Order: sequence, then structure tokens, then C-alpha cells
Amino acid sequence: MTRDELQSLLDSHGADPAQWPAALRVAALGLIASDAEARVAHEAAQHLDAALARYARVAATDETAAARVMTRLAGPLPRQDRASWRWPTVLLDWQFTPAWPRVAALACCAAIGFMVGITGLDRPFERTGTTAAGRSDITSVVFEPEAITGARP
Amino acid sequence: MDDSDEALMARIARGDEQAFRLLARRHLPAMAGLARRVLGNAAEAEDVAQEAMLRVWTHAPRWQPLAAFRTWLTRVVVNLCLDRKRRAQWVGLEAAGEIVDPSPGAGERAESDERERLLAAAIGTLPERQRAAIVLTYTEGMSNAQVAEALDTSVSAVETLLVRGKQNLRRALSSVIDEGE
Repeated sequence: MTRDELQSLLDSHGADPAQWPAALRVAALGLIASDAEARVAHEAAQHLDAALARYARVAATDETAAARVMTRLAGPLPRQDRASWRWPTVLLDWQFTPAWPRVAALACCAAIGFMVGITGLDRPFERTGTTAAGRSDITSVVFEPEAITGARP
Repeated sequence: MDDSDEALMARIARGDEQAFRLLARRHLPAMAGLARRVLGNAAEAEDVAQEAMLRVWTHAPRWQPLAAFRTWLTRVVVNLCLDRKRRAQWVGLEAAGEIVDPSPGAGERAESDERERLLAAAIGTLPERQRAAIVLTYTEGMSNAQVAEALDTSVSAVETLLVRGKQNLRRALSSVIDEGE
């Protein structure tokens, strides 16, 4: 690892070795141990981290600001943003992760459909006599004259 | 009763104002501080914090817990800040006015405060996305991946922002850093 690479590591991940990518940690620590300039860079990064951590503390002013905002929010709140008709949202908002249960269900449906198709379970039982009688009954209803008036349909 | 952020959001989605105020009280100090550091302006930061919390209220019925509430709220605040920064130029801390720290012993920390003021001023001169990356890393304690999510960018882009931001800070603050505790 070069000094420039160490500096990039310090800038992008901070001075704490625990935060460094494992693949770079040994090389970086080795350079810091063996090179005085690398050690200086590491110490400077520690100082910068400490200064930024102090800067980042939640200040009393933030608590005061939050209290002021809470006061402003004490009044009536605006209307909430509700969808007037939720069904399209629900339909479009399906979650497909993890996908395997749905894929498995779809595969089962496809397999059952295939079995039903090739075994003929989806067709009505063929009963020739009954069907013929049924057909003749229908014909008589359609074409025979009406019993009282004699009118044909 | 479950008072996690996500449970409160579920109650807020049903119009529960008490849950909203509880959630706001929990997150407002940190969000106000985050906005103040990104914007460099305390008054605008309050406006952003208020707007962010109102978005929590109005968007709650459609909010999906795909990410942690805090991450989502941080993203809302950062986006509001960056939108404002695009509309207005940076206002230095001096122009924003002095904010008096009411805590005891404030006078004794004058030297430390001065260093922090210089640091804040240096951070204020950074380009907005470099500043946002640094503030999120140190204020929110976010990993680079979480910062990338908040800024809607890649991890490598965040690393570049941090490298360039710290290079700029080192140039501006070499004496202050050397005097660090």
C-alpha cells in the first residue's frame, strides 16, 4: 500500500482501523507501523475525526430549535395524503421478494393444469343416451306447438 | 404498547396525532441539527425540520417500511436541504447570527468554541454534497452504504465525496487540526 492509498483509506473510512475494509487493514496497519509519514497521516486523520465528532454532537441549540418546531406543530395538522381508491395501488404494490414461494405456487398450478388437461378431467362425462334425450327434449320445447293456443314459437 | 418508530408510523397512518407528536419529539433535535449543519443557517434549518415532520404526517398513510424510519427521515431532510441550497447561496455562520449556548460554563469553552466555529465555517465552504456526506457520516454515524442510500448515490461516489471533502477541510484547517485535543 502506498501513502496515497493510505490517505484515501483514511479519508473515505476514517482513522479507526475497525472501520476499514478487512482486505486493506493489514496492509494499512503495516504501512503505519513501518513508515513515519504514514504515521503522521494517521494521527492527523485521528485529529480530524475527533474534531468532526465534536462538531457533530447534538447541541443545546438543536434542542431549543426542536422545541420551537414542536410549538409550531401544535396547531391543526394538514390533511393526510390518502389515496381515494386504494385497489390500483395495492395491485401495483405487490412485493415479489422472496420470489420462490410464488414461483413454486405458479409451477404447482401449471403442473395441475397440465395433468387435468391430458387426463381429460376438464371434459364432461360422455353419456350418449342422456345427451340424445336431452337434445330431443330441447327440440320439442322449441318446435312443438303451444298446448292451449296451438301457436308455434 | 409498542412505541417503535414503525409502530408509531402505523398509528400516524390512521390519523393518530399523539403518535405523531411523540415521533416528532423523538427525532426533531437530531434532524434540526442535521439540517443546521448541512444548511449552515439555523432559521432555515428549523423550517426544514418542520417541513420534514409535516411530510411524515401527510405521507404516513402511504409510507412503506421498506427501510428504517430514521433512514427515510434523514433522506427527506437531506433532500429538503439540498433543494434549498440549490435555490439559495450559502450563508456564512457570521451572517446567520450568533447563537448563544445557554449551558453552564459556556464562557470557559471559548477556545474550543472558536475551533469549532472555524471547523463549521470550513465545512460551510464545502460543495453541498461533500458537506452532506461528511455531516451524515459524523452526525448520524452512518456507514458509507447508508450515506449512499440517503444521498441516492453509490458507495464509491460517497467515498469520493468524503475524500475530496476531507482534502478541502485539511487545507482549510491545518492549524486547527494540529492543535486538536
